[in-house]
Amino acid sequence: MKLASIKPITVLISRELAIAALLLLGISFLVFMVLFLSPGDPFSSLLKDQTASSAIGTAARSEIGGPAPWYYQYLAWLGNIMRGNFGTSIRTGLPVLREVIRTGINTLYLTLGSLLITLLIAVPIAVFSARRGFTATNWVLTMFTYVVSALPVFWLGYIVIYISMHRFGLFPLAFGSGAQTWSWVYFMLPVFVLGLSNGTMSEVVRHLREELSRVFSEEYICTARAKGASIWKHSFKEGFLIPITEIVATKIPFILGGAVVVEQVFNWPGMGRMAWQAAQDRDFPLILGITLMAALFVRLGSLIERAVHIIVNPRFAKE
Amino acid sequence: MKRYRQHSIEFGNLSDVPFWKTAGPIDLVYISYGLLVVLLVFVSYVLGMTGFLPFDPQEINLELLMAPPNTEGHLLGTDFMGRDILARLIIGIQAYFLPGLLAIALALALGTCFGVLAGYWGGGLDTASTYVSNLLNSFPRLVLILLMVAAFKPDIYLVMTVVGITNAPTVASLIKSKIQFLKQKNFIEAATALGLKNAVIIIKHILWHNCRSVLIIQATLGMAEVILIETSLSYLGFGVQEPTPSWGNMVQSGANYFMQGKFWPSTAPAMAILLTIMGFHLLGDSLNNILERKRDQ
Repeated sequence: MKLASIKPITVLISRELAIAALLLLGISFLVFMVLFLSPGDPFSSLLKDQTASSAIGTAARSEIGGPAPWYYQYLAWLGNIMRGNFGTSIRTGLPVLREVIRTGINTLYLTLGSLLITLLIAVPIAVFSARRGFTATNWVLTMFTYVVSALPVFWLGYIVIYISMHRFGLFPLAFGSGAQTWSWVYFMLPVFVLGLSNGTMSEVVRHLREELSRVFSEEYICTARAKGASIWKHSFKEGFLIPITEIVATKIPFILGGAVVVEQVFNWPGMGRMAWQAAQDRDFPLILGITLMAALFVRLGSLIERAVHIIVNPRFAKE
Repeated sequence: MKRYRQHSIEFGNLSDVPFWKTAGPIDLVYISYGLLVVLLVFVSYVLGMTGFLPFDPQEINLELLMAPPNTEGHLLGTDFMGRDILARLIIGIQAYFLPGLLAIALALALGTCFGVLAGYWGGGLDTASTYVSNLLNSFPRLVLILLMVAAFKPDIYLVMTVVGITNAPTVASLIKSKIQFLKQKNFIEAATALGLKNAVIIIKHILWHNCRSVLIIQATLGMAEVILIETSLSYLGFGVQEPTPSWGNMVQSGANYFMQGKFWPSTAPAMAILLTIMGFHLLGDSLNNILERKRDQ
């Protein structure tokens, strides 16, 4: 019995893993082609106005490596990635993988924290409006979610910085410098700003509300209510777990995109800020590493979503 | 009144009932607000193009720095160089208007093609288009745009092409599920039995009669996203550069004076962004409530 209930899930999850691997391969190829087709090269922007003659420039170029055909470059690069070698940043000379992991962890804190904030605000609003129908309070709450998701996140960031500086005497731009008694506040402010206005609030509320009202009108909920059982417990899987993982998985890319801006506003030492810097320097290895890592986050999110789907609804496994 | 309305839905042909008669009043309020925003953006764009502005948006007036609203004819005040904010807001629409239309057109065209291929024929095409859409959905849009900016150049049309292509999977999946739903209906079968060509069935019976509203809704929501992306990029310094105004770089340059307590030069464009994006969101969501909900039942 136990074997029968576990086996299809393992099979399906390994299938999802295979799909994810295939997608990551496609992602790496796509990213590589973008950079391969791009005009100019990082060396010229690195060495611009820094070398006395073109001979020194050519020498520096051959020091790092001459040109090779695209498939050779791609396969070599892919082989290196398989071995965990993402190359070194052209600007700083540091290994990309270590840099991306170092900043990626900070970004992970930021995105997961802000997801939590979004859900903490959105879920009660959705539950309230699914239970009560259309009321004045409900309308105010819905309007609030619309305003919040249309609010430019950078402007909200400045407002929050201004208020914290002038009202509370805090300087939230100094995250990571350590040795501060209020460091958790510096940590919380960007998380709060991104959680509030990453532009997904209204959609999260909308999706959850629709799913919840659908589930609440199902017959098994009616039965549960009739026999005096908790409708929350009965509606948890279908009404909360699946919609929440679904919407979170689809919104991770948006939140990562918002993180680029928020990290810029709050000087947060994360991946988004590094991507911004790399885009300015045309630092190809670095931005390749960042894009791959970001895509990995997104794939991981949707992998979790699929796994939750499969575990909650084994009928899904038979398809 | 209510009884008549229900009656007409139950027995009448649904498409004969104008949508404003079946819609809830709150959706109509949202829609009129959204349409007002669309109209304002359009009129402002035309005004900006024809040069019919209250002030020259580039005219520097050092006598009147960061004036509050409604001083000396400057309806929305002036920014840190004494330039009229209203005129700059109007000109700032040009930063996203045409590129945004390009992004939307691209998303709708590509999305429709892939959606029809996946939904109408299915099979291998469906698998392939799912793979492509998963591939495109794996990239955080802003990171992908930064990659393109690094690889090519910070050009708004290039960025909006990327936005259009990455928006296409959403449209495609909507069209696909719509077609899969419609294929169970009798009229497609009847049309096939009558010997109509696939092209006629797809273009007339599926796309025109049944997917119009989906496309309109997606265009509306797409515009909101375009504005968000353009302002974010300009804020990050990869979009429109000073002195040419865009709502994003107006917020950014105004923010330098934020700590002095001069909120207005940054808040005015931020409010413009807020009200516009909200208008497009409300319009799209309400249109969705009215046009889509009823028909699926």
